[in-house]
Amino acid sequence: MTHVAINVEERLRESVRPETGEIPLFVYADPEVYKLELERIFGRVWLFVAHESELEEEGAFVVRQMGEQSVIVARGDDGEIRVFLNACRHRGMKLTCEDRGVTSYWRCPYHGFTFANHGNFMGTPFERAAYPPDGLDRDRLRLIEARCDSYAGLIFATWTPEGEGPSLPDFLGDMRWYLDIFAGRAQMELVGEAQRWVVPSSWRLPAENFASDAYHTATAHAFLSRLGLVRGVDFGKAGYHVDAGGGHGLGMGVHDDDPGSYFPEELEAEYRARLDDDQLALLHRIKNFHGNVFPNLSFLIPNFIPVGGRLVTGMMLRVWQPMGPDKMQAWSWFLVEKDAPDWWKTLGRRMYVQTFSSGGMFDQDDTEVWEAQTAVAVSARSRSDEVMLDYTMGLDATPLPDFPGPGTVYDGKFSEAAGRSYYRAWLDLLLEEGR
Amino acid sequence: MSAGSIWVLPAEAVSPAARLAAEDFLVAEAALLDERRFDEWIQLFTEDLEYVVPVRTIRRNGNGSDVDWESRHYDDDYASMSLRVRRLGTDVAWSEDPPSFTRRVLGNFRYAPGPAATELTVKTNLLLFRSRGTTGEHDLIAGERTDVLRLVEGELKIAKRHVVLDQAMLGTKNLGVFL
Repeated sequence: MTHVAINVEERLRESVRPETGEIPLFVYADPEVYKLELERIFGRVWLFVAHESELEEEGAFVVRQMGEQSVIVARGDDGEIRVFLNACRHRGMKLTCEDRGVTSYWRCPYHGFTFANHGNFMGTPFERAAYPPDGLDRDRLRLIEARCDSYAGLIFATWTPEGEGPSLPDFLGDMRWYLDIFAGRAQMELVGEAQRWVVPSSWRLPAENFASDAYHTATAHAFLSRLGLVRGVDFGKAGYHVDAGGGHGLGMGVHDDDPGSYFPEELEAEYRARLDDDQLALLHRIKNFHGNVFPNLSFLIPNFIPVGGRLVTGMMLRVWQPMGPDKMQAWSWFLVEKDAPDWWKTLGRRMYVQTFSSGGMFDQDDTEVWEAQTAVAVSARSRSDEVMLDYTMGLDATPLPDFPGPGTVYDGKFSEAAGRSYYRAWLDLLLEEGR
Repeated sequence: MSAGSIWVLPAEAVSPAARLAAEDFLVAEAALLDERRFDEWIQLFTEDLEYVVPVRTIRRNGNGSDVDWESRHYDDDYASMSLRVRRLGTDVAWSEDPPSFTRRVLGNFRYAPGPAATELTVKTNLLLFRSRGTTGEHDLIAGERTDVLRLVEGELKIAKRHVVLDQAMLGTKNLGVFL
């Protein structure tokens, strides 16, 4: 029997072999796999939806995606942040079609069903004339709500009800220690609206790239060395590769320069107050930092470069929203310390935009690759053999025994361990292992 | 022309000669981009260049501007634009090698003098057709440019370019082509 005839779950079980570094090409753009992903990953796990700095005001809301579903992330009049399906309980019309706003209620533009910013159904026009005299059942018409929690200022939501599945801290697991450094080392803010653009690529290719792939830098972004902006391949190798478990992964480029930290001195006291000694020591050595929170939240501190006599970087937060097996939306933000000096904010934003953004010099090359990978993967639909890809880099490497941070940590960034771990977590969810 | 005629131009109007020079300049500049003559193109900018493309958002009427200048697709100066051009000159600029085919169409030219005495502000509508590869599809990038042209030693240069794009969700996979 060819694989075309077999059930997709059976095919996944047989062909996805993370432990030996073998991943089949078809999973990059398969419609059946994508359907499973929507149901069993995006319909179940914790997903990043917003940053706390976007919702400081009572009544503030932003409209985001959880998988293909539109959701409203809102701070209610009671101060609580909640996440609702952006759908009226009467006919499913979107309650709001704008990106953000401040409101105490949403009134459906179709028939006027109205919902408070904490989710309760408030009423509808001529309610006592159109419905029984005591009106509609308030509880039954409450907005559909996702479970919501935050870590290091990052707000996540899940459709898995309370009491089922992991809590957010358990879901993030060992990744928390590293998220502290990236997003929790100071009070942070997202600057302005997300840049958004559509890429004809599977959403998963960039996610696994940020989790696990420092190695591509030397080739895909070779312009860096061609233009003399970096020396050799050191910018890719020197550092650590982290399999943080649960499909989360990251890589860190480090330096041992004197006098030390590339981060602004002005923020040192805040860093010290929020990080432990090991985290702070690592922060002081960071020259770049990339990772992915499973499944689709990527983060990045691009390589510091000198601008106007100062070393600067620009931090990125990025979500890869699925739009189909071969299409996604990139949502990208500049993240910065709220109390940072102006030069760090201004030059940081410039760095971010010029390197990793819709027009970024790095991003351009990456989108080109992801599109082509996705296009090639379509060929797997018409082949009778299973095309297997090689994910073996660092398979025999021994983890560092004494790295201060948690997870499985390797010396040097050249490894695909976090990628293998990503596919293990992914496969277990798709096949409902351990449920 | 007699006083009181509706055909008397306001004192601050830009002369037809200046308008023609500006239009010719911008049309020639667009041709350099479509022909991918980036080394010549970058020489059309002043060294204090400000090249900014803000992000567009979806807002209800009355809920603030839908142009967010805090968040940007391009936030560049002469040095970074030169770096982008140098990058395109390497043999590893994969996103544009092989290159996109582009066709820029400029229209609806609007002129205002200033801000400085040597400067002229020109607003134009930009339609940028882009095709890549053999899918038979294309991207259409539309926006409004605001250019500040400056007379430098007898030659026009671009001192400032702001482009407000007409999409909140860009329909092109990257902005690897200049606007």
